[in-house]
Amino acid sequence: MNMNRYLVRNFSSASNLFVNAKGKQPVRIAVTGASGQIGYQLLFRIASGSMLGPDQPVILQCLELPQAMNALKGVSMELDDCAFPLLKGIVQTDDPNRAFAGADYALLVGARPRSKGMERGDLLKANAEIFSVQGKALDKNANKDTLRVLVVGNPANTNALIAARNAPSIDPKRFSAMTRLDHNRGLAQLAEKTGSSVTDIEKFCIWGNHSATQYPDINFGSINGKSLTSIINDDEWVKKNFIPTVQQRGAAIIAARGLSSAASAASAAIDHMRDWTYGTNGQWTSMAIYSEGEYGADKGLYFSYPVIVSPNGKYEIVKGLQLDQFSKERFEKTRAELVEEMTAIKELLP
Amino acid sequence: MFGPHQKIILHLLDIPKMADALKGVVMELQDSSYPLLDSVVATTDVQTAFLHINVAILVGAFPRGPGMQRKDLLKVNVSIFKEQGEALNKYASRDVKVLVVGNPANTNALTALTKASDLPTANFSALTRLDQNRAQSMISEKVGVSVENVNNVIIWGNHSLTQVPDVNHGYISNYPQRDLVSPIKSAVEDEKWLNEQFIPLVQNRGAAVIAARKLSSAASAANAIVGHMRDWLLGTRDGEVVSMAVYSDGSYNIPKGLIFSFPVTCRQGQWSIVQDLKISPFIQAKLELTTKELEEEKQVALSFLN
Repeated sequence: MNMNRYLVRNFSSASNLFVNAKGKQPVRIAVTGASGQIGYQLLFRIASGSMLGPDQPVILQCLELPQAMNALKGVSMELDDCAFPLLKGIVQTDDPNRAFAGADYALLVGARPRSKGMERGDLLKANAEIFSVQGKALDKNANKDTLRVLVVGNPANTNALIAARNAPSIDPKRFSAMTRLDHNRGLAQLAEKTGSSVTDIEKFCIWGNHSATQYPDINFGSINGKSLTSIINDDEWVKKNFIPTVQQRGAAIIAARGLSSAASAASAAIDHMRDWTYGTNGQWTSMAIYSEGEYGADKGLYFSYPVIVSPNGKYEIVKGLQLDQFSKERFEKTRAELVEEMTAIKELLP
Repeated sequence: MFGPHQKIILHLLDIPKMADALKGVVMELQDSSYPLLDSVVATTDVQTAFLHINVAILVGAFPRGPGMQRKDLLKVNVSIFKEQGEALNKYASRDVKVLVVGNPANTNALTALTKASDLPTANFSALTRLDQNRAQSMISEKVGVSVENVNNVIIWGNHSLTQVPDVNHGYISNYPQRDLVSPIKSAVEDEKWLNEQFIPLVQNRGAAVIAARKLSSAASAANAIVGHMRDWLLGTRDGEVVSMAVYSDGSYNIPKGLIFSFPVTCRQGQWSIVQDLKISPFIQAKLELTTKELEEEKQVALSFLN
């Protein structure tokens, strides 16, 4: 049986009493799959202050499989070698209970990838096991008053659902899945098409599942008050080019790099957690969150919606949007897929 | 690297074999929707890559293959950095600041500089910031303080096994309690460890990371690059000393005309070597070893240039 190995290096003997010169206590950030490709991009940016700002010290609590603990050690050595002032400790463990102890943030990046010949149902079941264990460990050990969970590992939405259902004492609204990468990809495509900057584009959103059925929706979008649809003025491009490009971007990256997106995925995770903490300044972003049935999605699904996050870190779904026929069909397709995924693992849920 | 208000244009250069991978990197950069990223130029052509650039980070170099002698490594890298030096001379902005990372970094920087005779020698540097950060981290762990409280650890010489990590001019802030400072030597209280363990630990850290990761340091090297360029262009803080391998002017009796890592401060885009630091005989002997290595590398490189 594996020993619960962990290496802790804290710079003060009681880090919960530590207060740095600027007065902020360190927050605990758990990252699973920490020594993988996305983890490698993510950990350094978190430690440098990209996620929570230059005044917020952090403790990284890294979870890996037993066979990856040596690689994790190498990553930890490199983190040391950066001499990050904000990094107040690194935990390296293969035990989810230790990884999630006191966690204020949990980025669940690690998941079982699809192997050759693996059926969709098998993939869902394999990940259901992982995320059940992690949900339970979060339930037991995380900081329930502050916790924010972002599931990145695919199938992200359904994995978030599984984790949340296994954490009954944690508010399901503290769980989310990542569609920010799709959102950022959409912005980039729109910026290029319209010759504008990504920061000029408002009210763009991703509906539904982080999969090929996601619906990138420009119907409410605008640049400097002018509607995106009128600027682009090319419905054919939107439907035949833009939407499929965003939906299939992941595969395009794999084709070019020979590896899946890592740096851009890490960047999106940083954006998601930063905006969830500090707010979006009145702007729309996309997050896959707990549905109460808004816009007709099934209650309890983790569904990507347009949201606005307040300065005190509370997200709110944008209400009252009118979806046209095309949008309703896209919405229905992605909703149905999420229901199908949930059904496939239903008997594994508590 | 340059703060939250400085927009940038990235010029990415790689060899033709890597063109597809480079395309993938550009796609991911786009997909990150960075507000500060104005545009990306991705190319296999050095003229396009270096046209009007203000900053050049030369990471690519020929790696050592199995059975490759040091001389062979120098030879193949001389041809790369000769071309890049000439291209910088012809196409880059006259104020271009150059950081050479690809190894052997110091000598590659010297090669580039030699072929860029219209550009100031002060605009060329090589990276020893990674070694400095590593040393800083190790001292912080030894003393048991937060890493930002360790100040002014210096790396002298070549970015190689002969580098000289020197704590004799460094201090720990808020130690042994708040608002006090201690020289590193007295805080560590273990001269034997400093001389016999600390120095080799820093020198060999690269190999230790490879042993653990099965890959060489990448993220920490990139982080050091960011720190080096940021401090060079935006300036070091008051009292802060950083290590940069720069064109020697004879300070500390280091021969002129080498790219040698010195303690420097930076202001308004210029570095200046911190003068008048007392060098112990122990450190002096090590400075001589690293100088000798750099002079040998220089001779070999020059022989291939002519």
